Amino acid sequence: MLDAKTRYKLIPYAFLGIPVTIYLIWIIGPMLYSFYLSFTKWDGLTAPKFIGSKNYQMLLQDEVFYISLSNNLEWIILFMTIPIALGLTLAMVLNRDIPGAKTFKASFFLPMVLSLVVCGLVWSWLYSPHSGLINEVLRRIGLGDLATGWLSNPKVVMEAVIAVAIWRQVGYVMVLYLAGLQSVDQNLLDAAEVDGASAIQRFFNVLMPQLAPVTVIVIVISIIDSLRAFDLVSVMTRGGPYNQSSVLANFMYIEAFNNYRMGYGAAIAVIIFIISLMFIMFYLTRIAREETNA
Amino acid sequence: MPKRNNVPPAVKIVLYLFLVAVTLIWLVPIFIAVITSMRTNADIMSHGFLAMPKTINLKSYVEAWQRGGLHKYLPNSFIITMPSLVLTLLLSSLGAYSLARFKFKGRTFFYFMFVGGTMLPFQILLLPVFRLSDALGIYDTYFALIAIHTAFQLGFCTFVLRNYMMTVPVQVMESARIDGCTELGIWGKIMLPLTLPAFAAIATLEFTWIFNDYIWPLVLIRSSEKMPVTTGLATLQGQYVQDWTVIISGALLATIPTLIVFIFLQRYFIAGLTLGSNK
Amino acid sequence: MKNKIVISVLAVLFVLGMAPLFAGGQQEGATEGAQAAEQDVVVYNSYWSDPEPKRVEAELMEMFREQNPDSKVIHSTVAHEDFKQAIRAYLTSSAPPDVLTWFAGNRARFFIDKGLIMDISDVWEEAGWNESYAKGFRAMSSVDDKQYFLPGNWYWWAIYYDTRVFDEYDIEIPETWDELMAVCEKLKDNGVTPFTVGTKYRWTAAAWFDYLNMRVNGPEFHINLMLGKESYDDARVLKVFNDYWGPMIDKGYFVESPASYAWAEAIPFMTNGDAAMYLMGDFIRDSYPEEDLEYLDFFRFPIIDESVPVGEDAPTDGYFIPKNSQNPEMAKKLLKFFGSKEVQEYVAEELGRLVTNNNVDTSVYNENQLKGRELINKADYVAQFYDRDTTPEMADKGMNGFMEFWQNTDQAEEILEKLEKSRQQLFEE
Repeated sequence: MLDAKTRYKLIPYAFLGIPVTIYLIWIIGPMLYSFYLSFTKWDGLTAPKFIGSKNYQMLLQDEVFYISLSNNLEWIILFMTIPIALGLTLAMVLNRDIPGAKTFKASFFLPMVLSLVVCGLVWSWLYSPHSGLINEVLRRIGLGDLATGWLSNPKVVMEAVIAVAIWRQVGYVMVLYLAGLQSVDQNLLDAAEVDGASAIQRFFNVLMPQLAPVTVIVIVISIIDSLRAFDLVSVMTRGGPYNQSSVLANFMYIEAFNNYRMGYGAAIAVIIFIISLMFIMFYLTRIAREETNA
Repeated sequence: MPKRNNVPPAVKIVLYLFLVAVTLIWLVPIFIAVITSMRTNADIMSHGFLAMPKTINLKSYVEAWQRGGLHKYLPNSFIITMPSLVLTLLLSSLGAYSLARFKFKGRTFFYFMFVGGTMLPFQILLLPVFRLSDALGIYDTYFALIAIHTAFQLGFCTFVLRNYMMTVPVQVMESARIDGCTELGIWGKIMLPLTLPAFAAIATLEFTWIFNDYIWPLVLIRSSEKMPVTTGLATLQGQYVQDWTVIISGALLATIPTLIVFIFLQRYFIAGLTLGSNK
Repeated sequence: MKNKIVISVLAVLFVLGMAPLFAGGQQEGATEGAQAAEQDVVVYNSYWSDPEPKRVEAELMEMFREQNPDSKVIHSTVAHEDFKQAIRAYLTSSAPPDVLTWFAGNRARFFIDKGLIMDISDVWEEAGWNESYAKGFRAMSSVDDKQYFLPGNWYWWAIYYDTRVFDEYDIEIPETWDELMAVCEKLKDNGVTPFTVGTKYRWTAAAWFDYLNMRVNGPEFHINLMLGKESYDDARVLKVFNDYWGPMIDKGYFVESPASYAWAEAIPFMTNGDAAMYLMGDFIRDSYPEEDLEYLDFFRFPIIDESVPVGEDAPTDGYFIPKNSQNPEMAKKLLKFFGSKEVQEYVAEELGRLVTNNNVDTSVYNENQLKGRELINKADYVAQFYDRDTTPEMADKGMNGFMEFWQNTDQAEEILEKLEKSRQQLFEE
């Protein structure tokens, strides 16, 4: 029989036991195996062959890797600005008692529920150069010069796909901010107003700090979503034309499953993992500081 | 928020109309999806996707249900989603409780492990996990899918729940502890009820994610009898010919459960995702 | 109070959630028990996810069940694209499907060489296929004179055109390259785009490369290029791009922004008279609007150099049995069924494809099929198709190169250099 103190020490491990075991077996194990695979050449059929860092060397010389990387960066930047601005604005507007607020909220959230396949399909039709709605509208309002094959013109294809992702994301960010606004201390805002703070000052100096925890979550989710962006690209362009809309996750999937270069794909996955970690580091270090201070 | 009346009503009306307009534009793609689902494939092939529909009917919904196999795929989706959801929530709340409430060796390590796991693009786990499930003899069973969904979502859920649990005042638990409550009792009787709003919130998200997953069944399931609705609907995409109307009606039908879950849990969702913001 | 409601809701959800799992588990156990008793279960996974082939397959399965009342077929259709990814899991699992659909030629050879496919020489022997199948098909299915594959059906590629447009401008079927260019010029002058094409999924562009390369440099060079034995920066390849393909694109012989359209989305250009021709496989009929179908006809891709042997694309699909099949006896039985005269005739009639068994009565073919068959019979060499003849990874790089060229016709050299780099990397590996 263990003494009470030891038993107390074991309690947290007991709670963690099952989840950690499952996680180790199904996620961490396969993940480490993938790390190993990134140093091999593997077609998914026969035994992996160890080739050292060759996959990484090839990757660094692969033009598609750089295209994908910069597309991902663009995705992150657009994802951290537009949906947050729009989502926050909507949340603040819809948080007031305006008629039909619920309908508005539901409307903006609806794209989030719609399956990605349907989103991708419908937007491809909207983007169609010949009869697509967007080009039709542009021609009607005299901006016909802007009409283009949105998904075939290498100059705009990436933005066209990201626009759809933003269309889905805004409602999600809005919901998160609506949640955050519930716990905002109204007294502070009122006090600031009495003190003569302008609306802009109140927004940046009083409201935003209170919403900071939600913003952190939104940013973390945006970064993860951007780096894992896959489905929309895969449905709408498969990275085309000639890789101009390729993103890392897609690049990895095509190499691993379409081209059957599992080792190479694993190397790309490791890179995605490292980049995600770098981006998320600011959050993790915050946690770490919190741990030591606590 | 209190209404501020320093804005003239005319401006308010204009802004309101602007909001209505934006909302309508926002919904255009969804209108198109709904209308397309009521057209016929022949009509689409000869007049294009955005032409005015010649015929409007609900036949493709019936088609999706019968020929598209929704009647068998939809139940499968629930058989896979519900246990995964319940297990994920239960297990992650155990883990989160431990990470949020105790100081012990490896605490940061385990926390980082859960967060780190969610950073990995899951597609790369496909083949290793397939090998694992084959070795465990659960290839081509629901169990394989439930296991991977549960495990994969553990990371995110633990992350969110732990943050939420950190915001529960320590005193509440201390007093229970003094009252002689066991740790499991504190978890079940105090922590769980207090974290219910967060539960509802992640339940909504998780339901959407697991229900809409498309890739795992492709690798872990061999027979179409066990396919969930997402992967099942994909079989309507031929090499050359796509059954657009049936695919779209099927996909729209498949969003109904998600929509119901969202509407039902919306109240808790909003309340729940405060995510420790009052800390 | 509120919490109690939530708890009870969650409890109900929990019960509802877990119940089907156990029910499902039991059911599974039950069927497995039944399987053990019956012993005659055959699992068949196919990639025929297009609506028509799917219907025909369902009917075939019904036929097989009627003929073999003691056995059970579990048939699953997997989306064509997905199937190509899932097959590696199938072939390496301990309980793979017993019969799988796959592409004839190089793509099947790949798995055969890895020892993942069952030797079915005995089936070929017993079913008399060694006699009833053309030598070409037998060779396609054999490695070291052992058979591993059963070719099922095939179709041809050609230039499809709308007879109304050709009649209106009094156009004769072009047989040579110069004639084709003259036709294009004439159409262009009359405001009709000569060719429609939807290259969103890239392979439609690969068809152009296949044909131009075969017509200019001959099938032998083409196949060696596919196998990685010739280089992409060869002057002969450059000629295809700069002398033939590029000028066509530059002169506006193709519809604008083809990469925006999936192949079938480019059909309306033809039916509404904006475009006249489409280099396509015979499956175009399945997607062509019914009211326009009678005006759809095809001709052989024109000859560019008469001294070069004629190659055509005619992709063949078939079946094989994974090495780990749990029930090879039944699998072979199903294979014999697929290869039988009766099934082949049924497929020929219902799907409009061409079939492989020579015993099939040619009266099952319609006029269109006979014309297609003649087109292929006259060819000196039959290729499968770009993405079937070369390796999947090279096909991916190559098709991206074609897409890039389509956008930048002045950069053929740079693009081919890139492809050559990929070829060396991929084939050397």
